[in-house]
Amino acid sequence: MRRCTECAVDVEGHWTRCPLCAAALTGEPAPSPLPAVPLNFSRQRVLRALFLTSLAVVLASFVAQLLFSPDLDGIGLLRSVWLGLSAMWLVVLMAVRKRRNLAKGTVYLVVLVGLVCVYWDYLGGWRGWSLTYAVPALCASAILALLITVRVMRIEVSDHIVYSGLTVLLGLAPLGFLVFGWVTNPLPSAICGVLSLCALVVVHFARGAEVRHELAQRLHV
Amino acid sequence: MTRRTWVRLDNASNIFLAARTDADPKVFRLSAETDHPVDPQLLQEALDTTFDRYPLYHAVLRRGVFWYYLQDSDLRPLVTTEDQYTCAPVYQVDRRNLLFRVMHHHRRIVLEVFHALSDGTGALWFLSDLVVAYHRLRYPGQERPVRDGIGTGGARPDPGPVPGRADAGAQRGGHGAGRTHELGADSFRHYFLRRRPHAGPAAGSAFRREAVPAALTVEDHPRSPGNAPRDIRRGHRRPRKKVYRVVGTRTPDNRTRAVELTMPAHGVLALARAEGVSLTMYLIALFFESVRLSSGGLGTARTLTASVPVNLRQFFPSTSARNFFTTVRVEHTYGEGPDDLGSISRSLEAQFRPKATPEALERKLRRFLRFERMPLLRILPRPVKDLILKLVNRGNNRGLTVAASNLGRVSLPEPAASHVGRLLFHVSAVRPQFCSISHAGLLTVTFTSPFTETGHVSQFARLLTTRGIGMTVAAARVTEEELAEGEA
Repeated sequence: MRRCTECAVDVEGHWTRCPLCAAALTGEPAPSPLPAVPLNFSRQRVLRALFLTSLAVVLASFVAQLLFSPDLDGIGLLRSVWLGLSAMWLVVLMAVRKRRNLAKGTVYLVVLVGLVCVYWDYLGGWRGWSLTYAVPALCASAILALLITVRVMRIEVSDHIVYSGLTVLLGLAPLGFLVFGWVTNPLPSAICGVLSLCALVVVHFARGAEVRHELAQRLHV
Repeated sequence: MTRRTWVRLDNASNIFLAARTDADPKVFRLSAETDHPVDPQLLQEALDTTFDRYPLYHAVLRRGVFWYYLQDSDLRPLVTTEDQYTCAPVYQVDRRNLLFRVMHHHRRIVLEVFHALSDGTGALWFLSDLVVAYHRLRYPGQERPVRDGIGTGGARPDPGPVPGRADAGAQRGGHGAGRTHELGADSFRHYFLRRRPHAGPAAGSAFRREAVPAALTVEDHPRSPGNAPRDIRRGHRRPRKKVYRVVGTRTPDNRTRAVELTMPAHGVLALARAEGVSLTMYLIALFFESVRLSSGGLGTARTLTASVPVNLRQFFPSTSARNFFTTVRVEHTYGEGPDDLGSISRSLEAQFRPKATPEALERKLRRFLRFERMPLLRILPRPVKDLILKLVNRGNNRGLTVAASNLGRVSLPEPAASHVGRLLFHVSAVRPQFCSISHAGLLTVTFTSPFTETGHVSQFARLLTTRGIGMTVAAARVTEEELAEGEA
């Protein structure tokens, strides 16, 4: 074992200088009980910075749309491309961030894309296409997508049930649009609503106990 | 149908989740050094059997709307070589993994645990069961029959030198063979939530008198004279003193700087006895001295404080491997009276004793539990709670110079006892800290710090070597230069 005469200690490992006082060591080295692990620069910090910057840029480009009135010449195309790119980037961000839980990611996606569509519709002078077509289509396809995903990926019931439940509840929203008369064509909302109701009945009867157990865990105070 | 059991986190664990940072992921490590290169295959087998007896260790951590909680899982642990730096993060948000890892390197068996899962004592039970199971596989037929039928695992404290004296602290839990460590038992709630005074077979006054007040000490020592200063009690506020805080250079990738000092236990114990104090308090006094010597002058901040964890199992018997400890704060102000090592350690001892009585601890814990159960706090969403706890923790840190934790003298059952040399213990730290544990006559004091500087360790070592204690030093490489030199 090497020795530091300054500290009067024996040093394990192949140190040339004392790890305590940096004085030169004497004697033969003994193996270190601790491995030398290479420095590890985590990508996490880079990803976090990238995520926050992206989010800021996307939000800024959404807010910037308010500066242009829908009557402006040629704004339609420009806006579609701009918003399309921003929305796409937002979707990618969310999908990457929530990749570990697909059901949760789906809920986030439905909410985000739904809001983007409504906002887009509002910017374009509110023709009602978002509530009539986009949101019902989005909700209905999310329910179908989840049905397929949890089967194909064999996701455990307890892992997805709360988020599947939330997706189904979101799917009931278009029924509200129908009731309040916010839609120009009742068919998409009706289809989405019926689909959600069916899913809800299935969840309640087949998985009711699991849902309650899961909610008790997550909501305990 | 998968309806997994789950339990809410205990009182102490919530703060670990809120307080974890890149530099301090709240992970601690216990290792045992055996007399031969570890056989990974046998270690895996030993881990499998031990793991089955600890349902708590099956748990994964999940986030609810209001609180975190532990949930049972089907995951199985895998033994790996030590390929990560010490105390690397275990818990990662949204990644459902076990909250501990078992590794091996040369002759060492290493257990790293996320602090929200278990405390030092709980993890020591797991490690000792693992080490015993491993050695039973490695050396079949070497097991000595044990009189009371225990001998199938469990760290047991050595009987002390004084007959009738309570055992040496950390392992007072009645841990024994075949006991499983359930997911459910939260000892904090068991003892401190109910309105009536805590009950339990050992809570009687006889037990209390017997239980060692200096928690987590390696050995007991002559009782300090009953001159505990009254002004330390709650309610009497002394003028606020400026607390010295160590600053330094962060390690390049935020890894923990760990330096292990190994020394003969009896030598240090004799030094502590000569001053009439417990080993823990003696080591803390040495630590204060070394921080002062390496600081290059304390300036106006002449008060040094230390946070000392106290194992609650010795006063409130529990076999739960979950967190069951609290911390006690001791301090010394330089330049206000005698500053020699003996006086400092005696003053620390006098502060510590009254704070580490079952009554004082119970008062403190009941206060914590009341805080946790405040209706307003309970209905706050978890991220807000985390923020509050983070702020509370930050305020707390401001008043602390160092931390010190002593797991005590451990004696492993055969066949592990005759093959295991030193045990080691350390924890990721937000401030300079030492952790100590002793086995086979070897006391290991491991210093951890988020900073690369080792001045205080050097001073600590010199204070002991000049008092005739021989020691060996092992350090993990953290800086670029150290790693470039490498281990051949």
